[in-house]
Amino acid sequence: MIEISGVRVVYGPGAPPALDDVTLRIAAGECVALVGPSGSGKTTLLRSLNGTVAIAGGSIHVDGVEVAKLRGRALRRLRARLAMIAQQHDLVDRLTVVQNVMAGALGRWSTPHALRFLIAPTAAELAEASAALTAVGIPEKLRNRTNELSGGQRQRVAIARALVQHPTAILADEPIASLDPALGEQIVRLLCDLARERNLALLCSLHQIEVARRHFDRVVELVGGRVA
Amino acid sequence: MIDAFTNLLRLVGSFFPPDLSAAYLRALLVPIAQTIGMAAAGMLIAFVLGVPLAVAIATRAPGHRLIVAVLSALRAIPDLTLAILAVVVVGLGPAAGIVALALFYSAMVGRVYGDLFAAADAAPLEALRATGASRIAIAVYGLIPLTLPDLLTFGTYAFECAMRASIIVGAVGGGGIGTELAGTLSTLDFHRTLTLLIVLVALVAAVDAFGMLARRDPRLVLLLLPLGLISLWLYRPQIFAFAHAVHTFATMFPPHLRASQIASLPLLIAQTLAIAVGGTVIGALLAFPASLVAARRIVPFAVAVAVRRVFDVARAIPELVFGLILIVTVGIGPLAGALALGLHSAGVLGKLYAESLENVPAAPIDALAATGARRLPIVAFGFLPLALGPLVVHTLFRLEWNVRAATVVGLIGAGGIGQALYQAQQLFFYQQMLAYVLVTWGLVALSDWFGERLRLRLGWNFVAA
Repeated sequence: MIEISGVRVVYGPGAPPALDDVTLRIAAGECVALVGPSGSGKTTLLRSLNGTVAIAGGSIHVDGVEVAKLRGRALRRLRARLAMIAQQHDLVDRLTVVQNVMAGALGRWSTPHALRFLIAPTAAELAEASAALTAVGIPEKLRNRTNELSGGQRQRVAIARALVQHPTAILADEPIASLDPALGEQIVRLLCDLARERNLALLCSLHQIEVARRHFDRVVELVGGRVA
Repeated sequence: MIDAFTNLLRLVGSFFPPDLSAAYLRALLVPIAQTIGMAAAGMLIAFVLGVPLAVAIATRAPGHRLIVAVLSALRAIPDLTLAILAVVVVGLGPAAGIVALALFYSAMVGRVYGDLFAAADAAPLEALRATGASRIAIAVYGLIPLTLPDLLTFGTYAFECAMRASIIVGAVGGGGIGTELAGTLSTLDFHRTLTLLIVLVALVAAVDAFGMLARRDPRLVLLLLPLGLISLWLYRPQIFAFAHAVHTFATMFPPHLRASQIASLPLLIAQTLAIAVGGTVIGALLAFPASLVAARRIVPFAVAVAVRRVFDVARAIPELVFGLILIVTVGIGPLAGALALGLHSAGVLGKLYAESLENVPAAPIDALAATGARRLPIVAFGFLPLALGPLVVHTLFRLEWNVRAATVVGLIGAGGIGQALYQAQQLFFYQQMLAYVLVTWGLVALSDWFGERLRLRLGWNFVAA
């Protein structure tokens, strides 16, 4: 459950607010699309949810915890529960698909555990990666190098990484912006299906209003940093 | 273990405090001026000779292939080896240093500027050629203005190298700080050694700063002209007997080694390669962990800046100077040579590694941070795999460089081919000396060729000069 109330974000002294009095509630299992022109504050809103962008007013609660009050370890715990998916450029090419997928577990792994995994992954860890890749429809890509994947497959790997986080919510920032329309719609459908199936809150920014209307429970439009 | 540590501490302690007495500092003014003068005069000649050669290469003048071959061959002779040859021909003193620097850097400027000119935008040059312009006109109105930023960047980099090299050639009798430094070490006057190291680091830092200013205002480069000319006049060979020089040079022919010396060649070459590989490994092992705390995207800004200052100091002190100190302290032999290369390489590699880590794309790192990952896992899953290519290339380049440097530290007793060369010169066995020069040349040329092939094969051949 995500509760955003009266949030305001200002990037610099004298600059117009990037977000102004934004209020929004997203329940578990609910799929919400965020639409609006470039620069309307979609990315800023998503990034303020996991504490990457500091808010100047209002409040954000995730599962009852106020984000602005979190620091250090507590903030990392929050981030582990909020899976972020961006455009397709956020995978590490030189790692294998398995390593990219299991990077989703870094938030709950200790440092020695993380380093050990790179050298000697256990059968249980490989099984978890395999299950996540099966859920996104590409179980056969387990052993591949990431730079051998197509754009759509990369996005599926990013979603698999999000699932491995065991999140309570998925935040997706224009996940289909660099895919062709048919493929993009497949990815959106996959995201919504997974969110409903696993009872996750999904907040996804998009440019394609038609796609948003077809697949999401609710469409929220941002204009100039305000909910229209 | 504890004993070794206290010994080390005592040793480091014996360098403190530096001799900062007014009398000594005043006495240093002449060697400092000589060092700067050698670098300026050497570079002036290098530009005067190198730029026309580069134009000839880029415009495919008759004989340009021969020019490329000669310059490549010349570049494969380490600067210190050239300095020894120069000392033989023009005698001890700054003149020998100037000759060596001028030869080495003419080859470097000619080759690199030739490549830069060849990569210049073709369309404006075609237009110039269509007007029937001469080669000089094409250079003045086309090649040079088109590539000016790159020419300046490389030119100031070469000048920085020349300043360090100017200290090195001093150590074999070229005069300046290098000669002074070798003197303080042979008399175990470590307080003054430290003074000279401080002067050296300050000089290199000053050249760095000058390079940065010159990139902003290219007219500053013109200062090189009066400085170089004055030095050339002051440090012209005092007794330049042309006939004598020709005669000395002639006594080097034909190069000759005795059978026993030929039999020991493989061992000498193996020693040189071991010093190079050992130095590179030591350098990489020191630089790698340090570079993680020198990358501004991984650690707080202040920490990164502080670690980088340590790299700067290690970079400013040439391998040969580290070698001179280590030989007095840990004793003569290949270990001292490898440690000397390792300490200098650590400074160079640390800076390059840190920059490679800082240059990785932001999106994958942000994505890892967004999973709530700790700092070290983000390094292991993100920064390292993303920067792997540049890290490997920088290390391979350093290995190539260290083959050259291994012959140089050989001169001061680290062993290998360089030591044999220096001994032959000291004993006036000039035919042997030339034979060792040729072996050195072959070794360096082979390692350059091999390194280039390897980088092309890996597809990571993207680092300039």
